[in-house]
Amino acid sequence: MTDRHELRFSRRLYHGEAVDQAVKAFARFASFDLEQTDDDWVVRFTPNDPALARRLRGELGNHALGLTVQRGGAK
Amino acid sequence: MTTVLEGAPAGLVAVDVQAAAVQFLVDEELYPLPAIYGAAYVFIDRCYVFLDRPEPARVRVVLTAKSGAAEPEALRALIGEFANELLSCAFRHQIAQDNRVLIETATMQALAGAMGQPSLDDLAKFDFSDQGFDDPLGIAMSWEEKHGRKAPKSESEGGP
Repeated sequence: MTDRHELRFSRRLYHGEAVDQAVKAFARFASFDLEQTDDDWVVRFTPNDPALARRLRGELGNHALGLTVQRGGAK
Repeated sequence: MTTVLEGAPAGLVAVDVQAAAVQFLVDEELYPLPAIYGAAYVFIDRCYVFLDRPEPARVRVVLTAKSGAAEPEALRALIGEFANELLSCAFRHQIAQDNRVLIETATMQALAGAMGQPSLDDLAKFDFSDQGFDDPLGIAMSWEEKHGRKAPKSESEGGP
């Protein structure tokens, strides 16, 4: 059974490059799959260590948010 | 499973003790997005922060304890501190907006001053014909010019 997780970052709130950069920063901890819809940047990931899934999810969100704020917002 | 936090505004705050998370629905008309970003940024070292937009003009802020376990009281304190920080950020944002022109003017003057003295070419091109300002009330006149004793009129000017 695979431990697959999904995070949906609103395109109105998160900068796309910030999400990309955050995914790259955590690339060695999970395998990622990115998709974009009209409303969201969708990140699906399978962590290398299932025990770290919760932490990975949280840290990825924080990283994307931090980079978005540093870029002055979603636009 | 989320439950309503006792004492919190109904429909705005919900707690999920099992997930050690608390969510707060923020109205963008009251708290502008830069203020929400500012408050969220302050909290990313203390908890996991996630923003979502469940409906137009509303931002849902989800704060999750990093430890993975939190008592309802701890979550209540967390969301309370976040609300305070959000209010502070919104007020600072408002002040910055109100004083934007003043800040830009002061910055421009500081930068212009840092550019150094004008060159001889700059002075040669300076338009001295441009009058600084009108002074119909004589405000810019010195006290002596305005109220000092008048010089006696010369005899050639005539008299009785």
